[in-house]
Order: sequence, then C-alpha cells, then structure tokens
Amino acid sequence: MDKTHKVDKAIELIARISIDRASQSFSKIIKSGAKIELESIFYSDVTALTEEAISLKDEEVIGAFVNLAGDAPFRFLFYVPVPASFLLADLILKNEPGTTKELDEYAKSAVQELGNILASSISNTFAKDFDIKLKVTPPVLVTDLASILLQEYIINAASGKDRVLVIKSAFKVIKFGLETQMYIVPTAESERILSYLENFL
Amino acid sequence: MPKRILIVDDAAIIRMKLRKVLTENGYTVAGECANGLQAVEKYKELRPDLVTLDIVMPEMDGLETLEQILLIDEAAKVIMITALDQRDSLMTSIRLGATDYIIKPFEDERVVSTVQKALESKG
Repeated sequence: MDKTHKVDKAIELIARISIDRASQSFSKIIKSGAKIELESIFYSDVTALTEEAISLKDEEVIGAFVNLAGDAPFRFLFYVPVPASFLLADLILKNEPGTTKELDEYAKSAVQELGNILASSISNTFAKDFDIKLKVTPPVLVTDLASILLQEYIINAASGKDRVLVIKSAFKVIKFGLETQMYIVPTAESERILSYLENFL
Repeated sequence: MPKRILIVDDAAIIRMKLRKVLTENGYTVAGECANGLQAVEKYKELRPDLVTLDIVMPEMDGLETLEQILLIDEAAKVIMITALDQRDSLMTSIRLGATDYIIKPFEDERVVSTVQKALESKG
C-alpha cells in the first residue's frame, strides 16, 4: 500500500471513529433511534462544492458552526430544517413531540448544544486516540437557506484554497423521519494533519 | 432549607434541563447565567451553595469563571459540566479548584448524585 493510500485510509479510520463517538453522544441525548453515519470522504474543488450547494432544496435551515482549533484545525457544521429544530428541542427536554411550535430560544439552543456536543465528541476522539489536541469554540448559530449556509461554510473552511477535504455524514432521527447532514472540513491548514499522518505512518 | 444552586451554561436548553432535574430533586435554582461574566456577578449577589458551570462559553469560559469565583469565595463548590471528555481540561478544572465534573450528554441521575456528593463534601 503506498503512502497516499495509507493516509487516505487513516483519515477514513479517524473519521469513522469520530463519527461513531458523535453518534453515541447523539443517541444519548435524543434517545429516539438517533444515529450519525459516515456518508463519504472526498477531496473536491471549492467551486464544484459551492455549485453543488446552490442546487440544494431551498429550505430554511438552522445550523451550528464550530471551530476546532489546535494541532489539526477543522470547521464543523451541522444543520437541520428549521421545523426539525422544534423536534430536537422537544426530544432533549423530554417533551411530547409537537410541543415546540416556533423557533424559540430552546429550539435554537437545541441546535447550538448538539453542535457543541457533536464537535466535542470529535475533539475527544482526536485527543484520546490520536493525541491531536483540538479546542472547541462556542457554536455560532446561523439561520438561512441551506444553499447559502453551505456555501458560506465551504468558502470559510477553504479560506482561499481551491480544494478541500470533506467528511460528510448523515444525521438521522429514524422514528421521526428526520435526516440531514453534518460536515467536517479541515481548514486551509489541513496539510498539517496530512503531514502528521504521513510522519506517523 | 433547600440548597441553592446557580446554573451557568450558554445553552438555554441545558439550563432548562438542569433546572428541571434540580427542582424535581428538591433543590432551589437561585439563578441562571449564559456566560462567565454574568456568573461572577451573580455569584457575588446570590452566594449560592453550589454552581454548575459549563466550560465552553462565549465572553468568559468556564475555567476563567471558576478562577474568578474562587477568588470571591475560596470555599465555593463548583461542578464543571462539559462535553470535553479530555484529561487536560478535566485535570485543569480540578487543579484550579473545581469540586467535581459531569460530562455531557449527561443522565439526570448523574447530575443529582454529583450535586449531592459535592454539597456533602467539606469545602
């Protein structure tokens, strides 16, 4: 196996373990057949990604952006359609689904807190299993059309680079038919994690 | 007399969840704060029996808040509540003087037992 292939496999392994831990945390909070699955890991041109984002269904979503700063910096995003945030608030507060009817402070902070807990799970995996220290910043909440939110995220994470590595996961609450996406993108300094892995392997 | 607890977390939903668990178990929530700066002021004003303190917060993070509260009252009982299950941040909290810590996501029973244990401990 050549070195590039080994690095790709290592990234996939780290991503799988991280997503798995995030999924366990998610299930523990939601307790309704909730899970997160790694969907794909790929390198892509920023232009192609932003064009793909434009083609997304134009629905209003609420997303949590989290920066993971440190040895191998990442930007994290997870978002849900606005009405799904009402459901998340009800599940976290153990209320009857349908109790929350508007984007109130609890619906907003359900997304905020999930962003924090999921990004922290990923940071915990990096620290414990790979000795890569990452500091989690407080989540920033954004409400916008999905296409705009995703474009903004990709452009920020790329910070001037033409290509980015994207770790895309599906975020599901099966019982309630909720399915959305969670993204992890190493920032422009992603070379650091690649060279870290190259040296490590 | 019920013990009075100050809840500090930037997420309203976690403050609500903690309020529910604590009041259902016989504690009084003396106040709630969304960041460390508010928490330091509230601590001076309310002098609660215990503080639950999030680590990752805007304005002033939980570790700095812990230090500030302990400067006001070196016997303050503070439980750190964090999603960061990492030795460095947990050891730093304990070294700075935190009474205990709880990892998010938490079970209600874990909150109650940790609070009870902290309140029974000698300052």
